Amino acid sequence: MSDRVSAEAPWDVVVIGGGNAALVAAITARERVPRVLLLERAPAALRGGNTRHTRNVRCVHDAGDVYTPGVYSRAELWDDLCAVGDGPSSEELAALTVRESASVPPWMAAHGIRWQPPLTGTLHLGRTNRFFLGGGKALVNSYYRTALRAGLTVSYDCTVEDISVGGDRCTGLVVSRGPAGRSLISARAVVCACGGFEANLDWLRRYWGDAADNFLVRGPATNDGRVLAALYALGAAPAGQERGFHAVAIDARSPRFDGGIATRLDSIPFSIVVNSAGRRFYDEGEELWPKRYAIWGRNIAGQPGQIAYSIWDSAVNHLFLPPMYGPVRAGDVAGVARALGLAPDAVTATVAGYNRAVASFAPSRFDPSRLDGCATAGLVPPKSNWARPIDTPPFYGIAMRPGITFTFMGVQVTREARVMRTDGGAFRNVFAAGEIMSGNVLSSGYLGGFGLTIGTVWGRIAGASAAAAAGEAA
Amino acid sequence: MTEGLPFDGLFVEVSRQLTICNACRYCEGYCAVFPALERLAEITPGDATHLADLCHDCRDCYTACMYAPPHEFAVNVPAALSAVRRHTYDEYLPRPPWPPWAAGAAGAAGAAGAAGAAGAAGAARRRGAMLAAGLAAVCVLALAGFLAGGTGTAAAGSPYRVIAYPALLVAVGLPALWSIVVMTGAAVRYWRATGGRGLTSPRALLSALRQAAGLRNLRGGGADCAYPTDEPSAARRRLHGLVAWGLAACVGSTVAAAISQDIAGDAPPYPLLSAPVLLGVIGGAGMVLGCGGLLVLRRAAAGAVAPGDPPREDLALARRGYALLTGLLLLAVTGLLTLMLRDTTAFGPVLVIHLAAVVACFAIAPYTKFTHVVYRFLALVHDSAESADGNHRSRA
Repeated sequence: MSDRVSAEAPWDVVVIGGGNAALVAAITARERVPRVLLLERAPAALRGGNTRHTRNVRCVHDAGDVYTPGVYSRAELWDDLCAVGDGPSSEELAALTVRESASVPPWMAAHGIRWQPPLTGTLHLGRTNRFFLGGGKALVNSYYRTALRAGLTVSYDCTVEDISVGGDRCTGLVVSRGPAGRSLISARAVVCACGGFEANLDWLRRYWGDAADNFLVRGPATNDGRVLAALYALGAAPAGQERGFHAVAIDARSPRFDGGIATRLDSIPFSIVVNSAGRRFYDEGEELWPKRYAIWGRNIAGQPGQIAYSIWDSAVNHLFLPPMYGPVRAGDVAGVARALGLAPDAVTATVAGYNRAVASFAPSRFDPSRLDGCATAGLVPPKSNWARPIDTPPFYGIAMRPGITFTFMGVQVTREARVMRTDGGAFRNVFAAGEIMSGNVLSSGYLGGFGLTIGTVWGRIAGASAAAAAGEAA
Repeated sequence: MTEGLPFDGLFVEVSRQLTICNACRYCEGYCAVFPALERLAEITPGDATHLADLCHDCRDCYTACMYAPPHEFAVNVPAALSAVRRHTYDEYLPRPPWPPWAAGAAGAAGAAGAAGAAGAAGAARRRGAMLAAGLAAVCVLALAGFLAGGTGTAAAGSPYRVIAYPALLVAVGLPALWSIVVMTGAAVRYWRATGGRGLTSPRALLSALRQAAGLRNLRGGGADCAYPTDEPSAARRRLHGLVAWGLAACVGSTVAAAISQDIAGDAPPYPLLSAPVLLGVIGGAGMVLGCGGLLVLRRAAAGAVAPGDPPREDLALARRGYALLTGLLLLAVTGLLTLMLRDTTAFGPVLVIHLAAVVACFAIAPYTKFTHVVYRFLALVHDSAESADGNHRSRA
């Protein structure tokens, strides 16, 4: 098939992607140059990529307000970032992200985003994270509205098949639009803000082997890393760990793709988690949940069959968001184990051993709102907080699988969000923002709400840089 | 899809959707429905009914929902809850004194034995009752007019030239009383089924009144309504306010006229710059603008749903929405015309038309979507009582 070359004049900036980073980049670029095109792969009804499933953004603020009561200093966010996984992968770019985060909420508000108080049941997020009214799809809708009002052009159902490059410049994009076939779009500058490759199971299998078959993907199936692969083929330098991803524990019954927030399980700190042999394998009460929820996808990915089971009792059943498919329920622990397909004796023994290791004062000192120090004694692995006996029937359990939110491995960028090459140079007019370059900031761990921060900070940088590059090229 | 389901099936579907909502909670900031949902340990049919009437149909939760169709979870809360509301409007009316076959005569007898019998029978009963009540009311008016026609001694432009005061009182009062009795019965049944609380709490009542007066649940937490299109707009809240306050002003006009006549001893017609006329003109104009505007929005909303897109509401209830707005518009227009034409020969016929409209509307009100006023207010009272408790608990 021959590519139809668009007869149109070249666009100043073409943004690949349709989520938060892409929209922020496109809006920022449109404030500087007139002809901006956004290429969204999904149809209009499903636009917004992973952003549809987000709900808050983690930013530095020097003073509290109605939505984020209390101060969250640059130093504290930096410390929080250093404490997850192996810490920031590029200290320079991570520090830039943290510094720039302070101006993100006012920028969002100025571009149509409304706020709401922290959602009920989201413990420990209220001071550090701002929740936007209606969640991620409402945010996406607001940004599209702002973008269209500003006069930028949006094309849905657009898949970027390839990137054409001459020397160190991108000259155009090969785009397919369903029955309309392939066409070549020429651009003075390009922003790649089209997410990771988490929906590409073949790609994941390269690093995870057959375990990848048991991964569920929390966002849309369109995040297959096609543009990332094209960039690598053109010599773009990789950034981030191959196995780096943000993954959480989700209901094993969730759909393969796009189950989003409703399938996530927050029962872990109030429960014990056993593997398919009925044995515990990790400290469920290590840290406050927003700082630790993101290790559980990885934890479960490391267990046999990539499956694990959260088991709790009636005393704590109301303390976390109710799971969408509902837990199994039984009058005794053995009944829960049987319903989950586990060996009843093994699970009963594990629960009994755990209960013996729980401090006698635990039920009276138990406090889900903070690290309460109710720890097990002499148990391996320990449960460091919120360890109270599992002894109040009925008992509950749920099977969990790793739910991947996004992969970190992407392209290396400069401070201007310019995509670097393996030869040490950089593309003059190709930029990246959001998950596709998150590996510059994140290594293996994740901090709740920081994906939106990365997308917004780097969307602004990439949009402004692309507009400047378009000016030079014109 | 929720269209046409009997309540059992509908309840299963609504529970499925609300369980997803409760696991997500992103819409918590839009209205009272989602915080109320989060306070429930599990959802009963009564709870679903309460939540449905608490919903003011702003549709923000639909446009914000990443699980809305074409997503496989197919969450469409405005449509699901409006289908529950339709069942509420049908099923909570007190059983009529006539046998079911009489109601079936109104047009849906065949449906009674078919699938979905409960819902269809309820709707048939409602239609039968509406027809019977409307006919009876107009007969009462005709009889009253015949037995006690107007007197030539009343002033020009006075209604009493057409119909004597006691006859008017009976013709309007009887159907009004009937409506109040039927709606009270419905309210009692609804209150029991939803486990209502707070009617004796001044705080809950005040809070409900405040929310109703300002249509707080159509504010979308500052985002206004996604109505008539998916774009935020305050049009619906403003127009609905015009209708509600316009109707209140018309009631005020009637009360003012009664005071002028029976206390001040001042017989109609009243001058332009009197309380009855001013309130009537302002209220009537508000209702005309409001109802007309809402009818236009309704058409726009129906047209805004792209082919293949699911409707955001129960279509049968939408038809009742058109009917209510048209009825209220007719009331307001004929009312304004009687005033404008009171010095002409057309006054008599126009007044008869207006009175017939008033009498019929009073009689059939409990069988129309007018009852949403009752159920929504009760839902707001219940919610105010519950949320006051909830806030208290979370502070503790």
